[in-house]
Amino acid sequence: MEKTKLIRNNEDWWALWIGLFVFLLSLGPMVGKDFLGFGAATSVWLALGKAMAPVSKAYAGMSGIVALLLTYLFMLVIMGVGAKALKFNTKEFAIGFTVIFWVSYACWLIGNYAYIAVTPNQRAAFKISWSLGLTGEAGFVVALLVGLIVGNFFPSVTAFLKEATRPEWYIKTAIVILGAFLGVQAAGATGLAKAVMFRGFAAIVEAYLIYWALVYLVARKLFKFSREWSAPLASGISICGVSAAIATGAAIKARPVVPVMVSSLVVIFAVVELLFLPFLAQTFLYHQPLVAGAWMGLAVKTDGAAVASGAITDALIRAKALAVTGVNYKEGWVLMTATTVKVFIDIFIGIWAFVLALIWVYAIEGKSGQRVSVGEIWERLPKFVIGYILTFLAMLWLALQAPGLIGAARLSTGESNIFRVLFFVMTFFTIGLVSNFKKLWEEGIGKLALVYLVCLFGFIIWIGLVISWIFFHGIMPPTA
Amino acid sequence: MAPQVQQPKVADEMAQIPYEPFLPVEGKLIAWSLILGAVLLVLLVWVSYTFFTG
Repeated sequence: MEKTKLIRNNEDWWALWIGLFVFLLSLGPMVGKDFLGFGAATSVWLALGKAMAPVSKAYAGMSGIVALLLTYLFMLVIMGVGAKALKFNTKEFAIGFTVIFWVSYACWLIGNYAYIAVTPNQRAAFKISWSLGLTGEAGFVVALLVGLIVGNFFPSVTAFLKEATRPEWYIKTAIVILGAFLGVQAAGATGLAKAVMFRGFAAIVEAYLIYWALVYLVARKLFKFSREWSAPLASGISICGVSAAIATGAAIKARPVVPVMVSSLVVIFAVVELLFLPFLAQTFLYHQPLVAGAWMGLAVKTDGAAVASGAITDALIRAKALAVTGVNYKEGWVLMTATTVKVFIDIFIGIWAFVLALIWVYAIEGKSGQRVSVGEIWERLPKFVIGYILTFLAMLWLALQAPGLIGAARLSTGESNIFRVLFFVMTFFTIGLVSNFKKLWEEGIGKLALVYLVCLFGFIIWIGLVISWIFFHGIMPPTA
Repeated sequence: MAPQVQQPKVADEMAQIPYEPFLPVEGKLIAWSLILGAVLLVLLVWVSYTFFTG
């Protein structure tokens, strides 16, 4: 029997290793070193020359553009190592990554232009009389829109960038790094963090049990799909898009074509949600920030889009709450809630796939002699989740054990955040690249898309809102 | 030259979906899932508001 390898060669594992590597380097300030201080921090700007600078004062003598170049080179090298191990075409990857990095950064820069980003309370400081008030996170939306334009209207460019168009890999690496930032935030309010964790867990249980059952019922009874289609559809629409559809397809031994087709729709609908749900949340939920965060985690169906939605919602809601109520919520709690909810969803994919495999083998197909291995749960667990939990707990533990190190811990996460944000922006851009809306017009896709539309916009988004409200209303993030 | 793998067409796949009668075990899966969801909702809300108030 082939031995199970500790290090599997897939994007999930390499998101874990690269994320942990960046995290470990970021701990430099906690031991008097500074390995990542060259990272290029981007500020809201009016004069382009002041837009970027090294994040650490120790590198103050370095110009912004040099810091940015070093940031790019560092990310190219670490991702290049992963690409080589994953047997990508490294030359094509390097070229594609270079284009994606610089286009993504340009979008991030545009999003931080004062007239786009500055919120009403900041206008006086910038001496401007108007602004769109979208916060710097508008850069994510710019990147997404640019990606959508390129992905849908410039197929030759999209094909050229294909080897480096890896949104799930980028967001998973970012999530591992994100854990550390959220761990430091949680150290400042451990009671609240525990509440977010448990309530996030509770929301997931509800979502799995209610969502999956309803979508499966709609697919089977209303749309007359077979079991082979209905189960992956139910998982893809109700749980977590691509990963869940694939895991479910494998669990029930569906043909590979089924989850592949479901997955192609998942990405498109997640992008649509990403474009309007955060703004809806800002309009109606700025007084209940964590409800908004949980809603993003429950309603948006890919890791990339859900965490991305959480990031945008975090910024938009903090800006609106400050403008309307004068309350200045601390950064990161809405994002933490969205990410926690999504991570719990990911953890349960393996368990749910195992449960479905049991039901299919023993109850539906009634195949005697066929066994379902508990190892399936480990196999299906997205490994980057381990990284998120590790970095979160490590930073939380460090901050609680040595409160005197909290300042250094904030410096550490400030530095790793530079790279985390860049991975986020590249995620947005590449999500846009892979979202081929022409797929919706492909002959035959109508029935599949209709199930998705009916379920997602008919009840998943709204049940998610209700569940989020039940578990999170009245739970407020700390103020800055 | 190796034959190219044909990507399955959505239209063909949709047309070939067989009719499968809804089995009692599927009904039980859905019903039990919803019942468990409803029961756990009450329990988890109570636990959340009692022990995890933040």
